[in-house]
Amino acid sequence: MVAATPPTIEAADPPERPVAPRRAGRRWAAVAVVAVAVAWSISGLEVTMDRLLGAPGDAWDVFRRMVPPAFGEAIDRGVPGKVLESVHIAWIGTLIGAVLSLPLAFLAAGNVAPLWIRTPVRQLFNVIRAVPELILAVILIPITGLGPWAGALAIGVHSVGTLGKWATEAIEGVDPGPLEAVAATGGRWVSGMRWGVLPQVLPVVTSQWLFRFEINVRASAVLGMIGAGGVGSELVSQLVFRNFPAVGAVLAMTIVVVLAIDTASAAVRRRIIRGAVPGAGDDDADRNAAVLADLTGIRTP
Amino acid sequence: MAAALVVAYTVMAGRTVGFDLSTFWQVWSNPLWEKFWPVPWDWVLDRHNVLDPLVETFQIAIVATLIGCGLALPVAFAMSPLTAPNRVVLVVSRSIMNVVRAVPDLFWAKLLVTAVGIGAFAGSWALSVFSLAVMVKLFSETVDGADPRPLEAARAAGGRHMPVVRTGVLPTVLPEYVAYGLYVFELNIRASVVLGLVGAGGIGRVVEAQRQYFRFDRVLGVLVLVFVVVFVIEQVSVAVRKRLV
Repeated sequence: MVAATPPTIEAADPPERPVAPRRAGRRWAAVAVVAVAVAWSISGLEVTMDRLLGAPGDAWDVFRRMVPPAFGEAIDRGVPGKVLESVHIAWIGTLIGAVLSLPLAFLAAGNVAPLWIRTPVRQLFNVIRAVPELILAVILIPITGLGPWAGALAIGVHSVGTLGKWATEAIEGVDPGPLEAVAATGGRWVSGMRWGVLPQVLPVVTSQWLFRFEINVRASAVLGMIGAGGVGSELVSQLVFRNFPAVGAVLAMTIVVVLAIDTASAAVRRRIIRGAVPGAGDDDADRNAAVLADLTGIRTP
Repeated sequence: MAAALVVAYTVMAGRTVGFDLSTFWQVWSNPLWEKFWPVPWDWVLDRHNVLDPLVETFQIAIVATLIGCGLALPVAFAMSPLTAPNRVVLVVSRSIMNVVRAVPDLFWAKLLVTAVGIGAFAGSWALSVFSLAVMVKLFSETVDGADPRPLEAARAAGGRHMPVVRTGVLPTVLPEYVAYGLYVFELNIRASVVLGLVGAGGIGRVVEAQRQYFRFDRVLGVLVLVFVVVFVIEQVSVAVRKRLV
């Protein structure tokens, strides 16, 4: 298309002189601020040249001793079951987050909720998002006791923050037509949400849940390190005994399961979105870009 | 069929996890809550108890952001079909980064604590690996989407690979690079709070120690202080990012 139109030459106005960049000074100031911050930080970290130069060697040594991984020993100790337990925790946690966040998202969306309710709900999402799962688990473990239920609950509560925010954005992007149709027939607010909004956002929201599930699998593996169930405890105990071949096996199993779930979940997400809006999900890069923009607030052209 | 499978799996997972709705109301009547109150503010605001480890947390985050993002620049270029020097580098770097990303962040921390010893030094390295993984994921997509025309022009003029990438792609993606760097810094500030739970230095080590003494009032005070400070830093960083892009 572009090549078909002949290039036109516009020679009416003389080209404007480009404005000289004025930000050179500011750029140097930014570099100076970063340099000072880094120098100050390094000074606080007890870094000696000796340690700095020795660290890559030490790390390499540990990784080398993990090969070959002791899969037989790991299977005897029931590591595969622990990895699956982490997946279960992530799944239940994601469901708790989904069930709690969806109704709240309707109360936080600008197009369907009044200001007085939407402001506190949004602040609630922000506060929840700021507290990591591990910290929640630290608070929950004395109440629920050690075990997977503490982990699932911590993940569930933390997920409410992000899931709520994403679902709110999905609801704010709906077509108002069906909502007006429900209002025109005299439907109540709840009916409008159920028949006018929910069918429109459900595909997007479901794929958000799956995306959060991928994140939560990693999070639940970590939660085991402080005793909230799953594979983390296994990693910690093998590292304490410096049984590196077993550590290698634990790591390998975790990586395989995480990658498998990422791949499967991405495939399902792609199908959900493609089925919802014909053509819209054909390009997975677009979907990723949208999620990334959500996560970072940065929109790449 | 699929729905039935999902429901069956959910029931099975719920059983394994010990799903128990009664926790939700038992939480409120739990006598342990009294241990969270009152918060000993003069202990929390003491320099040696809390403020020094908090400063250490931010130092870890700053160093890790710089190392991770610095390494991410060449790795992201190696991972994009647009700028990879050849196919082998592309495939190898993508596979390695996929595996690195599949290892949860605190697993890295624990491994490095074992390798180089307990403390902030291990934490900085662990967080550097984490920043590298996140930054490469974010930034390589920007590189993928960069305008290929300056690159083609530089190639057509006979440039070698490195100068072509530096002059053809780097200037167009630099603003996003800085913005993502700030975003990774925010993530690192949050992540460095929990590093101490596995012995990798920072404020988490105070939380872990007090938790083991069952001083939940102190834990709560530390957490409140941390989240106020983290919130302020995030707001500043978000404001800077908005002006950049």
